[in-house]
Amino acid sequence: MEEVDQIKTRVVGIDIRENRTTYAIVNIRGEIVAQDYFCTADYAEITDYISALCERVLSLIDENGGYETIRSVGISAPSANYLTGCIENAANLKWKGVVPLAAMLQDQLGMAVAVANDAHITALGEKAYGSAHGMKDFIVVSISHGGLGSCIFTNGLPHLGVNGFAGEVGHTCVEIDGRQCGCGRKGCLETYVSDKGLVCTAEEEIARSNEPTLLSQLDELNIRTITECCEKGDRVAIETFRRVGTMLGVGLANYASVINPEAIILTGDMMQVGKWLLKPMRAAFDGHVFHNIRGKVRILVSILKEGERDVLGASALAWDVKEYSLFK
Amino acid sequence: MNNYSIHKKRVVGVEISNERTTYAIVDIRGNIFAKESFDTRDHPDINEFVTVLSERIIAMIEANGGYETIRSIGVSAPSANSLTGYIENAANLPWKGVIPLGVMLRERIGLAVGLSNDAHVSALGEQAFGTAHGMQNFIIISLGIGVGSCFFSEGREHHGSQGYAGEFGHTCVEDRGRECGCGHRGCLETYVSAKGIVQTAREMMVALDEPSLMRSLGKLSPRIIYECCEKDDAMAIEVFRRTGYMLGIGLANYASIVDPEAIILTGGISHAGKWLFEPTRKSFDEHIFGNMRGKVRLLVSDLDDGERDVLGASALAWTVPEYSLFK
Repeated sequence: MEEVDQIKTRVVGIDIRENRTTYAIVNIRGEIVAQDYFCTADYAEITDYISALCERVLSLIDENGGYETIRSVGISAPSANYLTGCIENAANLKWKGVVPLAAMLQDQLGMAVAVANDAHITALGEKAYGSAHGMKDFIVVSISHGGLGSCIFTNGLPHLGVNGFAGEVGHTCVEIDGRQCGCGRKGCLETYVSDKGLVCTAEEEIARSNEPTLLSQLDELNIRTITECCEKGDRVAIETFRRVGTMLGVGLANYASVINPEAIILTGDMMQVGKWLLKPMRAAFDGHVFHNIRGKVRILVSILKEGERDVLGASALAWDVKEYSLFK
Repeated sequence: MNNYSIHKKRVVGVEISNERTTYAIVDIRGNIFAKESFDTRDHPDINEFVTVLSERIIAMIEANGGYETIRSIGVSAPSANSLTGYIENAANLPWKGVIPLGVMLRERIGLAVGLSNDAHVSALGEQAFGTAHGMQNFIIISLGIGVGSCFFSEGREHHGSQGYAGEFGHTCVEDRGRECGCGHRGCLETYVSAKGIVQTAREMMVALDEPSLMRSLGKLSPRIIYECCEKDDAMAIEVFRRTGYMLGIGLANYASIVDPEAIILTGGISHAGKWLFEPTRKSFDEHIFGNMRGKVRLLVSDLDDGERDVLGASALAWTVPEYSLFK
């Protein structure tokens, strides 16, 4: 039909992480048409990385409907700033300083590109296609990549803060003079509720315990192995998650008392632990949240798959930028 | 008459606090034309309170330009919910349960009424006519009998899902710490509110074997402790240092979540000057997330405590659609 204009019904979502870059073609309904990935760490130079990423994205597009079907590109990256389109001083990426990622990609791909940090993208994914669908005031908390991040939505819009740094709940103080954090301060929530924090708590429990524990026989302490010990009824393993869950519950209660969200949605690798973590978390939450909010905040575990959430979120972001094409 | 200009250039701002009710006629620029107040506690019956308040407001309007000059009314009250227009289970007001104050006042006075809680109204006042003027992302903290807050995101207030957001005073800063009136332990309010500061002083007088001016004073209040600081009383200074340390942690945690351009302190305790601010600032800088350090301004409101909430209530009045029973 020539009487009415046609819209492009697909976008590209890209999830850049320390070790892996995943990219996918996603349609309006959040269906992944095609997806592929490569190793981020293979490219020490940002210009090489950008060239490789563009070639791969363009060939995926060519094999799946062609350039004219794609509206725009959305990218998730650690320490990315939505307001500037740059990756800014990412602690764990190889590229140092300020990287103008959106501008570089837009140049090479010839279509509109939007960039945002992983916590913001995770929340967008949950809102568009996941557990936050239809919600206006909510918090998405991600416990993964060794850290604890979050994003707040207010009145249906993300609250990014004046410099774009909002949501650093992992670096709120939950224990005065507590554990040393990589950020330089002590007692940050992240030092208790993260992969590292979990291992630290497990080691403390092993040292303190008088009874035999399966934990001391493990080659490696991690989320999966400690959970397996819980499943076998190991009391020290269960106590380890009880302590981690309690800290998480207190942190979330303080967060909820200030924000009054309709829901807090939990995402990340730590969620596979299930009840061992979630029961003590819930008890501590109810024991610490302000009374007129108690019973009114839903705590949910994301329904999206770990491997897909951030490319879906990046695809949702792609729809937020104004359409632009170099070739039309 | 010129039909292209607005005729109603004034509103009424009402501040209901646990002790006093203040009402004023305010123009577009925040000039107060008339202001009066009465004791809230004189009217334990809500119907009687609304009758008295309405009559007094109407009398003030008639004495100052007349009914047709007034656009609308804004009201600040503790535990008021702007989403419902109700006062909901206020802990310290004489009227219990859920009170549809907005509707009650509109019926008596015949003008549109906006209602919201004191923390939100304070923030509106600061944004319209005070220290937050021109800011998009900021936090207002009220430090007094209780500790409340309101934050603005991109120029708009964040109310939360049910309108309860901002309960900063009831965030836990010390696990299994001091008992709070809310039923929990270790709430920030138990350390930095007026009562919390006095408790810190009393605990120190028991625990330490040092002389202090505070020992000879029967009744203690933050103001009295402040006056002891001014006389170089070491223990009084230490009371505010501990208070500031706790407040600094609370504010740093808040800022790490919200990334505001400024935090503005209001209320009685905000007048404690350097005795409170120096330790607060130090603790704040120690505890805030690294990439925000040095970027968040800590400010004290420059509005008069007696005017802030009537000005804020007047700003709220402008946000409700105009309505008049007689036109």
